[in-house]
Amino acid sequence: MQRLILPGAVLSAVLAASFVIGANAAGADLLVNFAQGSSADYYKDLIAFITGDWQQFGRLFTELQGQVFWKVFLAVITIVPLAFFLHYLVIGAMEFSHDGEQVLFFPLFARIIHLIAAISFGLLALTGLMVILGKFLGGGTLVRTARYIHIGAAIVFACDAPLMFLMWVKDMLPAVYDIKWLFILGGYLSKQKKPVPAGKYNAGQKMWFWGATVGGGVMAYTGYVIWNMGASLDTVRLYVIVHNALGAGLVAFFLTHLYMSLFAIKGSLNSMITGYKPKSEVDILHSRYKY
Amino acid sequence: MARMKFLCDVERCIDCSGCVVACKEGNQIPVGVNRRRVITLNQGQAGEKSISVSCMHCADAPCIAVCPVDAIYQREDGVVLVSKKTCIGCGYCFMACPFGAPQFPKGAAFGARGAMDKCTFCAGGPEETFSQEEKKLYGQNRIAEGKPPLCAAMCATKALLAGDADVVADVYRERVFARGSGVNAWGWDKAYNKK
Repeated sequence: MQRLILPGAVLSAVLAASFVIGANAAGADLLVNFAQGSSADYYKDLIAFITGDWQQFGRLFTELQGQVFWKVFLAVITIVPLAFFLHYLVIGAMEFSHDGEQVLFFPLFARIIHLIAAISFGLLALTGLMVILGKFLGGGTLVRTARYIHIGAAIVFACDAPLMFLMWVKDMLPAVYDIKWLFILGGYLSKQKKPVPAGKYNAGQKMWFWGATVGGGVMAYTGYVIWNMGASLDTVRLYVIVHNALGAGLVAFFLTHLYMSLFAIKGSLNSMITGYKPKSEVDILHSRYKY
Repeated sequence: MARMKFLCDVERCIDCSGCVVACKEGNQIPVGVNRRRVITLNQGQAGEKSISVSCMHCADAPCIAVCPVDAIYQREDGVVLVSKKTCIGCGYCFMACPFGAPQFPKGAAFGARGAMDKCTFCAGGPEETFSQEEKKLYGQNRIAEGKPPLCAAMCATKALLAGDADVVADVYRERVFARGSGVNAWGWDKAYNKK
């Protein structure tokens, strides 16, 4: 346990230090070395001083934020669930007997870390969607509260994610058979129960792990800078673009994760509550795992 | 309908910051927020110039385009206003604005930004005109009273002009003509010894 907490604390300290440095750099004196030419030169310097390189970054940000992001998020939360709904109708859920021998998959520590991540990430996804699609909710107190919850949940997730990373990173390293898993999409497109090439975690779970922890770290850092404007305005603009683009991807992954655990494999949610998976399920879906 | 515009004549602005004070005092603006500010470049050197900047009330305003909750809107006369009751303080308008106009007081939780505050062209806000609520949230509604914005009204050198765009442009055109045309044309200062 202590082995895990120390690197987590170091990581948090490094992040905190970089935040402070970033915030100080923003206050640097920019009012030096302006051109002494014509009015045109003067205005060019002035605008750069006030709002950075608007033509390049401000315009890009305005176009993406105004026209693209909310549509992408709207598409993600309609198309992804619709695709899964069709999958559920056409192929249906996988069923395994839960009566036989059980395999311990998630010790108590893992379940607690996962539970904290699940609640905080769920809130982050929900409130993030409420902000980006706020015009449909009319803004005001509701969406403002969502934004405050987004910040609070982010603090919880940022503390939890490093522990989750250290806990699972060894099992989540890519393996050769992951490519095979990706080609057959984990066997989810067929009704047959043939052993699927996967270790303790399959390629899909691995992608989700790296997205949630490393991607989550990027979300946390960019989100922090957006929150306190702790960098030059051009940097903040780029960070918003990164935050929203990556966010759309993570929401898609999150919906996938929800579908898999709640619907696609019947009763698989139990493994995160009791810690045990039935042997019959492990032998098929995690055929390379030596328990 | 008349189109409202600001124009700051950099040949006249003397960096007195009277416009900033007039706006701040007259509109009872929250601490830490400046709807208008004066920026001076090349201070103390030859060619020093100052300009008073606030919201420009743009046509096709980028802030309106990026607002995720549609809190910002534009009146028929071009004035861009924000509904503070709708605003969630996300800051996107600040990132989209080419003039750095949107300002944010401290909000209620986690040190997050509160509702955006910016120049209203002294035209109040979406609440009922001349109501106590409008005054508390957005400041004076001088446009409804038939007066120009505070900043331009008090400008001692009349560097800052505000009002009907056609009239403002006419005033500025006459000034530029009186100063001598070509005074700012590229290369003239070097080629013809003209300042």
